[in-house]
Amino acid sequence: MSYRSIERILIAAISVIMVLWLAIPFAMALLWSLVDPSQAWSYPDLLPPKISFERWLVIWNTTSLPTAILNSYSLAPLAAILTVLMGAPTAFAFGRLDFPGKALAQLLMLLPLVMPGFVVAIFFGALLFSLGFFARYPAILFGQVILFLPYAVRILTVSFSQVRTDVVNAARDLGASRLAIFRVAYLPVLKPGIMAALLIVFIMSIEEFALAFVVGSPDFTTIPTILYSYIGYNFIRPNAAVVALILVVPNVILMLILERLLQSANPASVSGKG
Amino acid sequence: MRRALTILLLLAPGLGLVIALMGSVFYLAVMQSFGLMNFAGESALSLSYWQTMLAEPRYWRALQYSTYIATTSSLLAVALAYPLALLLRKPFRGSLLLSALIKAPLLVPGLVAAFLFINVIAYHGVINELMVRTGLWDKPIRMQNDANGYGVIFLQLWKQMPFAFLLLSGAVQGLPEPVLLAARDLGAGTMARFRKIVLPLTANAMQASLILIFIGAAGDFSFQAAAGPTSKHSLATLMSNLQGEQGDWNSAAVVAVTLMALSLFGSAILALAVRGIQRLVR
Repeated sequence: MSYRSIERILIAAISVIMVLWLAIPFAMALLWSLVDPSQAWSYPDLLPPKISFERWLVIWNTTSLPTAILNSYSLAPLAAILTVLMGAPTAFAFGRLDFPGKALAQLLMLLPLVMPGFVVAIFFGALLFSLGFFARYPAILFGQVILFLPYAVRILTVSFSQVRTDVVNAARDLGASRLAIFRVAYLPVLKPGIMAALLIVFIMSIEEFALAFVVGSPDFTTIPTILYSYIGYNFIRPNAAVVALILVVPNVILMLILERLLQSANPASVSGKG
Repeated sequence: MRRALTILLLLAPGLGLVIALMGSVFYLAVMQSFGLMNFAGESALSLSYWQTMLAEPRYWRALQYSTYIATTSSLLAVALAYPLALLLRKPFRGSLLLSALIKAPLLVPGLVAAFLFINVIAYHGVINELMVRTGLWDKPIRMQNDANGYGVIFLQLWKQMPFAFLLLSGAVQGLPEPVLLAARDLGAGTMARFRKIVLPLTANAMQASLILIFIGAAGDFSFQAAAGPTSKHSLATLMSNLQGEQGDWNSAAVVAVTLMALSLFGSAILALAVRGIQRLVR
């Protein structure tokens, strides 16, 4: 057998494994979410005896899932906008200015990535407690913004560094105001980066568990904390299946959009100049 | 002077806030582990919280367990991702699809991954059903919450291997083709090229993925809570348990400081190990 055909067999095998790796778990979750509450799916049935959307309705009507969805999907856009707004000045400094200690500053920006998530969550909670701050919604929002700043700053730094100085200078020479310079020289190049940063923070905020769980406990719910309540202590499989799908499906769609955006984040294609 | 002020003002809302918050979290955890800045009762410098905690077997078990999970997961994730990244270095028919499949678990939140996994390995899950029906096993095997934490390690791999793959394929795709061709012309074999060119040029990506996966796995809460052995705590679940259920902030702080120290030392050792291996094979 030649080297090429061994490689081909290997690649085929890996592909099959990867499909099983993903398809089986998701198919199981989908089936479990469709099990009709009137007829349990138990051993030795290979497939659920009766399939319906009854479970989805029951969960929607009897649990705090609607509130959790509202919380998650209102926190996420707010966190995304705030993170981008607060990260942009730092990204500008990193991307367009030179100053002593810049490498160290960029390293320190990564702190939230290397601090264990639950340590941050618990002692952020402690900090709020000692300051007498008990409003959980703004607390979680603020915590998420800080946790996700490194990602937004990283993406925007690249965007800012791609802004062409000659275009900025040309606009200035032609007497453009500061706002006009921003509009013609910066904004077109920054746009994909801004969109990508908004999306990635949005996605991470929807998925964020530690802060919402620790600071939000006991009764402030987001989609991940509800999911945790069904898979942890009280394992309720069909409910967990429904919530898992509600959590994962929109995120996958958003991630695919993100991938497109990051691919188009090319200065030449954005500014129309080589 | 004015320029310095401008730069400081630019950094304040981003970097400034990050340093302020992470700094206070760190400061508060260290202080409370020594009995200072207490929420209730007197605050006085004391080593008693450390002494009590260090005398507890569950503390040592959690530390040992988290170290084990983090080390195994990071090493295995990189060991699996590295060959895949090399295999997909040059595009071939279907390579984009395959790489998308490998990266797909990145889109799945950890808790969802944990649920999907429990579902598959449950007592009457797909694997047990399949093995019993085909007659390979006589009866279903209990795999959930196994005592060795294999379930947790598997989950870490499911979730983190794609991350290592992402970092490593970036590095592998950046390998300079002329250098590889020149080495081949000069008679270097596959192994020699790997040792002298591929390994040194991808060492940074390897270090980064090992460290980030180690830190993530050492501080894991959700996989442990969902799929971990019921008889053991990870450092994160122990900390959450001490603080949440027992309201014992000081002991939780001791565990928090331990977890931060483990992350720091673990990363340092892994980073040094990569350097050492690089030097050895040169």
